Amino acid sequence: MKTQTLTGNDNYFEDFVPGTVIRHVRGKTVGDLENVLITNLVMNTAQAHFNEHAMKDSSFGQRLSYGGVNASLVIGMASQDTAENALAELGMDKIRFTAPVYHGDTLYAFTEVLAVTASDRADAGEVRFKHWGVNQNDVVVFEGERRVLIKRRSHWSSR
Amino acid sequence: MQPDFMKRAQLRTKGNQYEDFTVGQELVHHWGRTINASDNSLFSTLTLHFNPLYFNLEYAKAHGHPDIVVNPLLVFNTIIGLSVQDLSEMGGPFLGIDNMTFHKPVYPNDTLTAVSTVVDKRASSSRPKTGIVTWHTKGFNQRAELVIDLHRTNLSLMRGGSI
Repeated sequence: MKTQTLTGNDNYFEDFVPGTVIRHVRGKTVGDLENVLITNLVMNTAQAHFNEHAMKDSSFGQRLSYGGVNASLVIGMASQDTAENALAELGMDKIRFTAPVYHGDTLYAFTEVLAVTASDRADAGEVRFKHWGVNQNDVVVFEGERRVLIKRRSHWSSR
Repeated sequence: MQPDFMKRAQLRTKGNQYEDFTVGQELVHHWGRTINASDNSLFSTLTLHFNPLYFNLEYAKAHGHPDIVVNPLLVFNTIIGLSVQDLSEMGGPFLGIDNMTFHKPVYPNDTLTAVSTVVDKRASSSRPKTGIVTWHTKGFNQRAELVIDLHRTNLSLMRGGSI
């Protein structure tokens, strides 16, 4: 299979410059499909994420979208620009959930390129990103760093 | 008027609170989870995660993988999910994660299990009846190979506390 035609040509390792900040184009409104489906799929048993009745009596007053879902949505919305040509996700760090997310909130993703470093493989390099997730009121709900192994155009753009 | 069975019912609670954790304590989490190809496709598409390794089998094979790769964020969520009853179900919001490393790829039909160790606990200075607990959580595949590890921190309710 010829792979290079399936992914973009603006997100190889060589394209990332530290200091660049990207506003990703798509947002997504959080509802049952994102919060309840994924929370249940991954067997997170905390009913704060899926029992609206029980949460009426809490200080939040309603279900909370699960932080793991919020993080995954933000990384997902950043993925076409920061993972489409990735060979591997290496890790994440300094993840913070800074405000609650409720059903009906819309999340958007922003990314800063923190560092680019050579890897032990010649055909790829490591990029370190900082991601932010914000809601429809520009309140930051998630932030975190992520390390990704990304293809070099020099080795992969004709495969 | 409540039916009689409701008056006679005893609540079966689940989970642990702040006082139940001791630094160094190990918790072996319940259930395990075999990751199906459909779990991975559903998760990756719902979260708009557009790396073809997670939804295009031929692309994954062309990159040296024997099968579609399971999205590492699904691995992360599943390992946390399996740990929730033991660690955080009794309440206290999820504060953050540090030092998360993806050690090995996971493929469809791999079975994940999770184990955590309590690494730190302290009372909150700002919230009454609430503590802050940090756990080191590890996820393993069916060959007992480490696939992910991370440090998770939550607010953790003390007895009598409420969110």
